[in-house]
Order: sequence, then structure tokens, then C-alpha cells
Amino acid sequence: MFKLNLKIALRNLWKNKGYTLINILGLSIGMASCILIFIFIRFQLSFDEGYRNEDRIYRIVSKWEYPNGEDFSQGVPIPLAAAARNDFAGIEKVAAVQRSGGIVNVKDESGKDVIKSDERIYYTQPDFFEIFDVKWLFGNPKQTLTDPNQAALSQSIATRFFGSAEKAVGKNITFNKKDLKITGVFKDMPENSSLPFQIVASYATFSDRDSKSWGHVSSRSECYMMLKEGVAIKDLDGPMDQFNKKYYKDNDEAGRQLHGFQHLRDIHFNERYGNYSNTTTPKSQLYGLAIIGCFLIITACINFINLATAQAVSRSKEVGVRKVMGSKRKQLIVQFLSETLTISLMALLIACVLTEFALPHMQQLFDNKISFSLFEHPVIFVFLTVLVFIVSTLAGFYPALVMSGFSPALAIKNKVSVNSGSLSLRKILVVVQFAITIILIIGTLVILNQMEYVRKKPLGFNSGAVAIVYAPGDSLSRLKYNTFKERVLQIPGVQGLSYCQIAPLSGDVSEVSFSFDGKDNKDFQIRKSAADENYFKLFDLKLIAGKVFLKSDTLNGYVVNEMFLKKLNIKNPQDAIGKLLSANDRKAPIVGVMKDFNDLSLKQSISPLVIYPEKSDYYNMAIRVDEKEMMPAMKKVEALWSTTFSDYIYDGQFVDDSINSFYDGERITGTLFKVFAGVIIFISFIGLFGLISYVATQRSREVAIRKVLGASTYDLVKMLNGSFLLMVFIANLVAWPLAYIFVSKWLSGFVYRIDLSIWPFIIAMFISMAITLITVSLRSYRAASANTIDALKYE
Amino acid sequence: MIALKDIEKYYASKGVKSYILRHVSTVINQGEFVSIMGPSGAGKSTLLNIIGMLEEPTYGEYKFMDEDVISLSERKRIELYRNHIGFVFQAYHLIDEMTVAENIEAPLLYKKVGGSERKSRVADMLDRFNMVGKKDLFPSQLSGGQQQLVGIARALAAQPSIILADEPTGNLQSAQALQIMELFKKLNKEDGITIIQVTHSEVNAAYGSRILHLLDGVIKEDVRL
Repeated sequence: MFKLNLKIALRNLWKNKGYTLINILGLSIGMASCILIFIFIRFQLSFDEGYRNEDRIYRIVSKWEYPNGEDFSQGVPIPLAAAARNDFAGIEKVAAVQRSGGIVNVKDESGKDVIKSDERIYYTQPDFFEIFDVKWLFGNPKQTLTDPNQAALSQSIATRFFGSAEKAVGKNITFNKKDLKITGVFKDMPENSSLPFQIVASYATFSDRDSKSWGHVSSRSECYMMLKEGVAIKDLDGPMDQFNKKYYKDNDEAGRQLHGFQHLRDIHFNERYGNYSNTTTPKSQLYGLAIIGCFLIITACINFINLATAQAVSRSKEVGVRKVMGSKRKQLIVQFLSETLTISLMALLIACVLTEFALPHMQQLFDNKISFSLFEHPVIFVFLTVLVFIVSTLAGFYPALVMSGFSPALAIKNKVSVNSGSLSLRKILVVVQFAITIILIIGTLVILNQMEYVRKKPLGFNSGAVAIVYAPGDSLSRLKYNTFKERVLQIPGVQGLSYCQIAPLSGDVSEVSFSFDGKDNKDFQIRKSAADENYFKLFDLKLIAGKVFLKSDTLNGYVVNEMFLKKLNIKNPQDAIGKLLSANDRKAPIVGVMKDFNDLSLKQSISPLVIYPEKSDYYNMAIRVDEKEMMPAMKKVEALWSTTFSDYIYDGQFVDDSINSFYDGERITGTLFKVFAGVIIFISFIGLFGLISYVATQRSREVAIRKVLGASTYDLVKMLNGSFLLMVFIANLVAWPLAYIFVSKWLSGFVYRIDLSIWPFIIAMFISMAITLITVSLRSYRAASANTIDALKYE
Repeated sequence: MIALKDIEKYYASKGVKSYILRHVSTVINQGEFVSIMGPSGAGKSTLLNIIGMLEEPTYGEYKFMDEDVISLSERKRIELYRNHIGFVFQAYHLIDEMTVAENIEAPLLYKKVGGSERKSRVADMLDRFNMVGKKDLFPSQLSGGQQQLVGIARALAAQPSIILADEPTGNLQSAQALQIMELFKKLNKEDGITIIQVTHSEVNAAYGSRILHLLDGVIKEDVRL
């Protein structure tokens, strides 16, 4: 029986190749999107899972309460860990973690450097590995992470450094010129971990371990703890209050510092606090994605239902004959469901192929920071099975019920009509589908426009072909600055070099309070940036008054920007020249005023900025090269750099690239919008096609009558299309305000942005109308030009 | 008015031709009331559909008001029957979503008759068929006989010179059938409208002026009453 059903199913599918193709394509694209979203969500939700004591692990975090708001940090004061260990009865273990970064050298037997690499090191206590049951391949944290200068490596980094985990044990590495002995190797931390530990050193190695400063909180110092079994986190609320009172006696001023607990599984999802892996994904974002996934699959199913019911009438005769032959309704339902199951399975296969194609792009979209795989986890199979089951039931059951419910007498006579009661619901669904399509089209257009604007907007300085290269700041290296500069300038293609703190546009901000002309300013802070006198020429910064400070290794004058004067209400730039400015108790006259340029991403406004010379503050150099010789010149610069500063690792980046990286989030949003707009346009196309097929079938008799009454094909196409265009028009009306709200909210994230014009809305309307017209006309033309007599025959 | 010459119609399937009409030739003049009779499958409806230009013959010549229908473009053909032909069906084929008045108005819309003219013609029809009180009802609210009256009113609204009726009384009780036939006779006599009907009933055929007997696609007899 099943075999026969399958055979008939396949024949039927083959008979209606067009429908089948559209059905399978629509379903498979919906399914593929669902699978991708599922893989992404599963990956995100799996962060920090699987530790034995997962439920009992918490992180201690800090919070400040100001009169006008709160501030949060993942970090805690360094003395907190020891105090917490003492003061809380309900805590079983506490471990402090301290992050540090620097150059790691690995030497071979002869003492020669084989590996030099910029790495992060985490100082921690053996208790950390009691809290987190990370497997150790060699060594034992209790014995090997207790004394100073002991370190453990992850398996992969041990292999990278020494060839294998085994060989690493007992060897030395140097970290910032300090020797560390490798006493253990642990299994790699998974990719989905907020604790990306690769090199762990004993806490006793950490030089500031005995700090008593409760006022200083750095995001580098985290503290983890594990509850005693049977203790609930609520039980610790009281002790935590007392703890806060005990250590912050003078805490009633503005800016109260407090501590609290954060559950391990909250770390990846809570944006208030950061974490060591620098990735947080708020749960709301995941829910949003899940909703999109559900929406996609539901619309795909609805489309399927529309198409299937449209076809139902043409299959009524088969149903009638089967019933007369004695088929039970249940058997018919099973037959139709097996057809849907066949389609779903085919769609699933295609969906898997599509997913495989899409995964590398998705990985690329997230900058290869996450890797995805289709068949890595068995749970995906469960998901796929459930998906197919849901889809075939959701999409197959209703049409099966409708078709199997035909009265046999009428069915054989071809006299059935599918009830049109649910048509209005379908119309609403199509309106919703199109409203979403239109919102996405408008969103895509606006995002693309804004990104184009960001790319094209003159920033007020010349960033082309300038690289920012790290300049080591120790006193020995500083001595080499001048000779290095001379030699770099000799490299063909290099046009200039300036030692500085940061590029003109940079997220690296240091703001200070200042006094101007002898008066302390309380209204705003200034951003300061140290650079030598060549900086202005190199970046083509224009001065509107005064001149650049003279060449000097120490502060001898400030150059301020227009915004600074504007904030101080100084109209004439000349008035500011010669006035004394004091920032961080360093006093010097203002010697020049420069034109404003964008010193932060275009999401933010220009800050009041001062530039001053101070050799000890430089840690970068800006190198301008000839655009035609960019790559070879930079290669030579790198080679020269590496020989000059041989203890360090070359780190250089073109200014334009780093400026672009400010908009990574927006780039991802833009791409997601483009993709989802494409998918949803396609799905809407299928939805429309399904609905028009349904309507055309429903109205075939009416169409024929009208034709007999003298309507031309054109009249009829117009009649059938009219209601659809109206629906899409309504969808536009629904979508516009929503899109406007969304788009203006997104744009308000930029201080410098395009003016929102009517055009994206008009274009979206035009696109949606055009799609509708094309889709609907395909089918309605066929209906209108069909043979009149067939629909009117009465036999 | 209608001249058919050697009309043939067959369906070919797998090389075998199954004939529906063979060598049908006849002339129907203005003002005639013709009944086409014959057993099931004789080709009556097909002949009527060909006359109504809803179907095309496989071979043969068809002149309608001296115009060669077969060589006409679709647009011209539609133009032709918009202006000259009214159809009446056994199953009435009213549009379910439209009221009685709207159904009658429908063909006028396609003829691009002006608004006021349309209104007066619809009112005229409603008046003539005593359906003024029912003009806002939907087809499903009427009896079969009343529905067929609307069907005829709709056909007449476009002021055709010929009415083609395919078993117009097939679904009706005899009293209602009688009424419809009386109406046809009256239209034929008083308004000079040519009527061609397909019927099974000798009684109905007796209302007409001429009977074409069809058997297996061939005209066996052409009787003038």
C-alpha cells in the first residue's frame, strides 16, 4: 500500500512539475534558512555549557550606582577574591583570574628564538580548575600551578610551540622577558567558551597579586566562584550586602561601588558585562532570529497549503473514484500526507545542500570567529526530523482533510468547489508577507545608502595609503626612533613618517578635564592625542589660525580644534592663540587651531580635541606611502621594523581598514538584510503564486462566464490582478510607518547620516508592485485565456 | 445570418479521430427560432458552441453576418459576439458574488456602455421580467426559474440579435419551463430576435419554427414547422 502510495505520489508530483518545483524550492529555502538559524542559535546557546558544576558556578561582578544611571563591569578589585573566600560561608571555591598580554618567546635548545608571538596570558589559581572541570593531559593544577613562574598550555598551543603536548612539559617560555616553566597541558577550551584560555600562569606569578586597592576595577581581573552544594544563590544576597558594606564604608557618595553574582550561563548573553572572549550575544537577538525562522517556515508551509488546495479541485475526481471504490477517508489522508512527506524530504535534501553552500558565507560574515558545521552535533538530526515532521503535517494535513472530505457523488461529476471561507485569512497572510518584504527592502536600501555615505563622506583628513604601525614604548626602543625614521624615509615609496599616539580617527580615547586661561572647566572634557609636528602634514590636517608647535620631545604647545572653541564659545580662532591650557596639570599655550575632522566613527560627533607633542606618549607611527608602491614599500618597512625592534612583533594596519572596521556590525546587518530580503521576496513570490492559483481556480467559472459575456483576456487579467495589487498596496501602507520607525531608529545610531528621503519607500513600492504584477499575470493570463467551454461544461 | 458549410469537428487521440460533427452545412436566417435536437453525444452542444464562437471547428466555413468568423482575430470575434450574441445556459451561470442587477449589468460593462444608459437598460430589464423587487438579491436566493429569467435578462440587456440557449429548461420544473418557452416565443415574434436552442424536449421544440435533428454529428433532418 505504501509503495503504491509513493508511486502515485511521485507520478502526481511529476504531472504537476511546475507546482512541484515551486513547492520544493520554496520549502527548501525556508528550511535552509531555518537550519542555518538553528545552527547559529544552537552554537550561541551552547556557550559555557557542559561543566560538571555548571549550576553552581558564578562570576562576581561590579556595579556602580550614580545619581543618573548605573555602570557595570565584569571586573572586580584584585583583593576581592581573597576577601570573598574568607567572608562567604556558602561558597566552596573562589578563583581570581587576571588577564595580561605580551610577547611570548619560545627558544630551542641552543637558546635561539624559534617562535615569537603576541599572546594573552591568564594568571589564575588552582581552584579555577576545581570550579571548571577542564581536563589536564599532563600535570595537575594543584601541584603545578601553585608556585611563581609556573605555566600551563592548552593542547593546541603546546603543539604549536613545541610540536606536541608531551614535549612541552618541562620546557620554558619567556613572557615579557620573564621565564615561565611549562608544568602542565590541558585540553583546548571549546570555541564556544567565554574563557578562551590558551596560556595559563600561576597566580603567584602575577606581580600585582597583593594589591590592596578596592577602588581600582579593571575588566582584566575577573573572579569566579562555586557555591557549596545545596546552597541557593539567593541565600548569598544578605551576606553580599554585608560584604559590600564591610569593604566600602564610605559608599554613600555619588558613585556607589557594589558587587553581585552573575551565573556562568548568563555571561555570554548579558551585554552589561563583557567577557574575556569579547563576544556577547543578547538572548533577545536569538529570540528575534528564532521568530524569523519560525516565520519563514510557517509562510513556506502556508504557501504550500495555498498551492495544494488550489490543486485540490483538479484532483477531486480521483478522490471521488477512490471513495466509490471503497477507500476510507483515513487512507486518503495517509495518501496525501505521504505525498507531502515526499516533497518535504526532497526539500530537506535540497535544504541541506543549500545550507552547506551557505555555511562558509555565514562563517565569513562573522569574520571566521565562529565555525559552523551541519553534521557536527547529533541534535541537528533531531531538529531535521522534527522539521520534516512539522512541515509535512502543517503543510499536508489541511489540504489532505479538504481533499479527502469531498463528497464522492459531486467529486466524480467535477462539481466540487473548495470553500472560500479561509481566503480572507490567506489574504491577510499575503499582506503580512508583503509588509515584511517591503520593510526589508526599505531597510536594505537605507542601510546600503548610509554605508555608501559613510564610505564617501570626507572625514576632514587624508587617510589614503597611511599605515599605523606599532612603535614599542620602552626606553631602549625610544632611543631608536630617530634612526628608524631616517632609514624608513629612505625606502622608495615612503613619503612621510610621524610618531603619534593614534590615527586621527580612532576608538582609542583618552579624555581629561582641563583648565583654560587659568579657569577650571567643569562642563566637558577634552580628548587629547599626542603626535609629533609631522602629523599635520602627513594627514593633511588644515590649520585655520596660528601654526603647528615646534619640533620637541616634550610638551611645548597645544593645537586645538574648532569644536573645542565652539564649546568654549570663542568666536574668533585668533583669540585662543597664546592662551594657557592645562590638562593633567601640564600647562602650555595654545599655538594653533585646526579645522574640525571626524575623530570618532560617524556614529559619534566630533569631540573637542587637542594635539600636543610628547615623546613618552607615542606608541604608534603613521607612515604615508605612495599608493602605487603600497605593498612593496610596506614589506620593506616591516622588514626594517623587525630588525630594528627585534624583541617585538610588527603590528601594522592601514588607517582606511581600521576605519572600516568601525562599521562591522552595520556591515553584518546590511548583509543579513540583503539575504533575508532576497529569501522573503522569493517566498512572497511563491505565496502570491499560490494564492493567485487558488483564486484563479476558484473563479474559473466566473472567468468563463465573463468571457462569454464579452470580456477580453485583458479585462480578465486586469480583474484578477486588481485585488492583488490592492493587497500589495495595503501592505505598503502597513509597512511604511513600521519601516520608517525601524530605519530612523537605526539611522539615529549615526550622528552623521543621510537624510531619510521618500525614495527608498517609493522604490520598495515599485519593486513589490512589479513583483506582484509579474507573478500574478503569469497565472491570471493562463486562467483568462483558458478554454471557456471547459469551465462551463455541465455533464 | 448564419451560414455553416461543411463544418467538421473531431478530437484526435493516438491517431484515432473521434468525430463530433461531420459535414454540417446549414443556413439560419434572421428571425428564425431553431431547435437543435438529438440524443446524447450527437454533437448538439458542440454545434451551438461553434455557432456561438466559443469553440472552433476543425474544418469548414462559418459566416456570421457575412463575416468569415474563422479568419477573425480573437479581439474581433469577441467584438462580434459582444454586440450580437446572447448566451443562456442550462446551469444559468450567473456570477454568485453579484446581485441580480449587477449580473444583468455585467455584459454592458464589457460593451463599454455609458453609466446612465446602463442604469436605464438594467431598470428596463428588471421591469420587463417583473424582478424590480429582487434586484438586490443574490442568485442563491432565487429559485431555478427565477435564476434562468435573470440569465435571459442578462443575455437581452446587451440587445443581441441572436440568443443561443443550451438546454435552457433542463434544470427547471415543467411549469417554469413553459414560462421560459413562452418568453422565447414572444421575444422571437415581437422583437425579431433569432433564437437557437438545444433541447431534448419535443414540447419545447414545438415552440420554434424549425427543428434540426442531429445524429452522430450529422444533420439527419431539417424540419420547418
